[in-house]
Amino acid sequence: MTQIYDYLMVGAGPAGMAAAIEASHAGLKVLVLDQAATAGGQIYRNVSHASAAQQQVLGPDYGLGKPLLKAFMAAPCDYQPLAQVWNIEPHAQGFTVAALIDGRSVSFVASDLLIVNGAMERPMAVAGWEKPGVMTAGAGQILLKASALLPKQVVLAGSGPLLLLLAHQYRAAGVTITALLDTTPRSNYWRAMPWLLAGLSMPKQLFKGVWLSLVQRIRVPYFSNVTDINIVGNAEVKAVRFMVAGKEYEVPTNLVLLHQGIVAQTQMAQTLACKQEWSDAKQCWQTQVAEAGQTSVPGVQVAGDAGAIGGAQLAQLEGRLAAMARVKQSCTHSSWARKMAYLALSWRIRQLHWARGLVDRLYQPAPWLSTPTGTTVVCRCEQISAAEITDIAKAGCAGVNQLKAFSRAGMGPCQGRQCGLNLGYLVAQAQGRPMAQVEPLSVRPPLSPINLGQLAQAIDL
Amino acid sequence: MTASLFSRLDQHQPSNPDSCSIRLNGIEHQVPRSMSVAAALLYLGQRATRTHPVSGQPRAALCHMGVCFECLVTIDGQQSQRGCMRPVTANMSIITTSKGQSE
Repeated sequence: MTQIYDYLMVGAGPAGMAAAIEASHAGLKVLVLDQAATAGGQIYRNVSHASAAQQQVLGPDYGLGKPLLKAFMAAPCDYQPLAQVWNIEPHAQGFTVAALIDGRSVSFVASDLLIVNGAMERPMAVAGWEKPGVMTAGAGQILLKASALLPKQVVLAGSGPLLLLLAHQYRAAGVTITALLDTTPRSNYWRAMPWLLAGLSMPKQLFKGVWLSLVQRIRVPYFSNVTDINIVGNAEVKAVRFMVAGKEYEVPTNLVLLHQGIVAQTQMAQTLACKQEWSDAKQCWQTQVAEAGQTSVPGVQVAGDAGAIGGAQLAQLEGRLAAMARVKQSCTHSSWARKMAYLALSWRIRQLHWARGLVDRLYQPAPWLSTPTGTTVVCRCEQISAAEITDIAKAGCAGVNQLKAFSRAGMGPCQGRQCGLNLGYLVAQAQGRPMAQVEPLSVRPPLSPINLGQLAQAIDL
Repeated sequence: MTASLFSRLDQHQPSNPDSCSIRLNGIEHQVPRSMSVAAALLYLGQRATRTHPVSGQPRAALCHMGVCFECLVTIDGQQSQRGCMRPVTANMSIITTSKGQSE
């Protein structure tokens, strides 16, 4: 007989781990499914096995994950690593979550779900980004955390805290940074100004951010207000061309790491028909959530960067609050101490989200990156250019889902994860509509690839 | 294969007990056990993971976290596996798709 869990988390990052610790110690039957080999999420990836040299390069913030991971591994919950969730659907007793584990599909039933599968990097569709030798800054950091790999030489391009942090870590490890191309538009600094007060409420973080940003300008060949990035080379990358204030530059390189912030992964919540909303501040779709992560679908919560992006510290607190709310449902009596702890935590979360307002505005993507032009590939899977998409959008289509049917953009293996946002921006621009009115790409199972044999075996059960 | 764009922080030695043997396109290599398949390809200097079915151009992993589906390779006979999501194991066979094959 299938075991029925009280609470199932998808994702073992800071939010998932914190929630599992809270809920399992309160007596709930908890299962955590995670796609990675070790818990920690992207932020604390491999933290338990990283060598001293890796930890030194990655810095003290990386080490913060260790106590959380230790508490998670000691918590009385079930934890399944290397589990690829490919479907989630309602079930008589809650929800069924189907995951591929070791090549077989296994189904789990839980009365309540917490979706904590985090964020992904905002795709940065520049000319030539489909060439081997172009990766994301997040990929660069994952290679450092999980595999102790460092590039011999690199050009970093884009905007956002992760890009600056990676530059700092690479420099500490002796990597040659040929250039750092900052695409943050000047106007963002003015736009962020009213939020300075919010940022000042976290002086330590703000100071660290400002220092990180300034030190790169001194120590690394740094170009600000960069536009029109073009990565050139035939089969492999040879150089990057770009413009600064009307002047063209070219820098030779075999490796370019791109980054322009992160966006929530909403596919799982969308599969369950949880209401989505467009965030103007964060410039991405996110799942509508109440105070403790409750979505529009009863029994489904979202926390951490899978909801409103806020970073690792906030994710951990949100995971804990979500679990406290779930525990409260099962308890007839809640002590005063627990009630106070809940209120304090929820207040702290609200404060941290407010402080995050500065980062959100400062690192909004440059308009030229949101609406690429010409032969720049927007849909990598189906090889559809920006010009093709713009033409269809101008000729008239109801939204990105009709655009997908007309152009095939978004139909490939990544299921629109890499092109969905750009499709939206291009439709919005061509038709003069605000993004909030251009719906996100629909999501259909499987959420991750499954072959016919595995599918047949899953149906048999 | 070309020169690798990456090197190990701790100058990993092939004789290290932490390494295992894999076959990449039929040729045997020693790689650190902790690596994902996609990371091992980069480490070995295999810059392209597949040939794009529409453009015929080489492609390689973009995100290394399971989102972009550019690192699809054949692992132990199973096609279209995301190399970034699979840790290498001893005697694993990895085949990158070349022109003419489906993805």
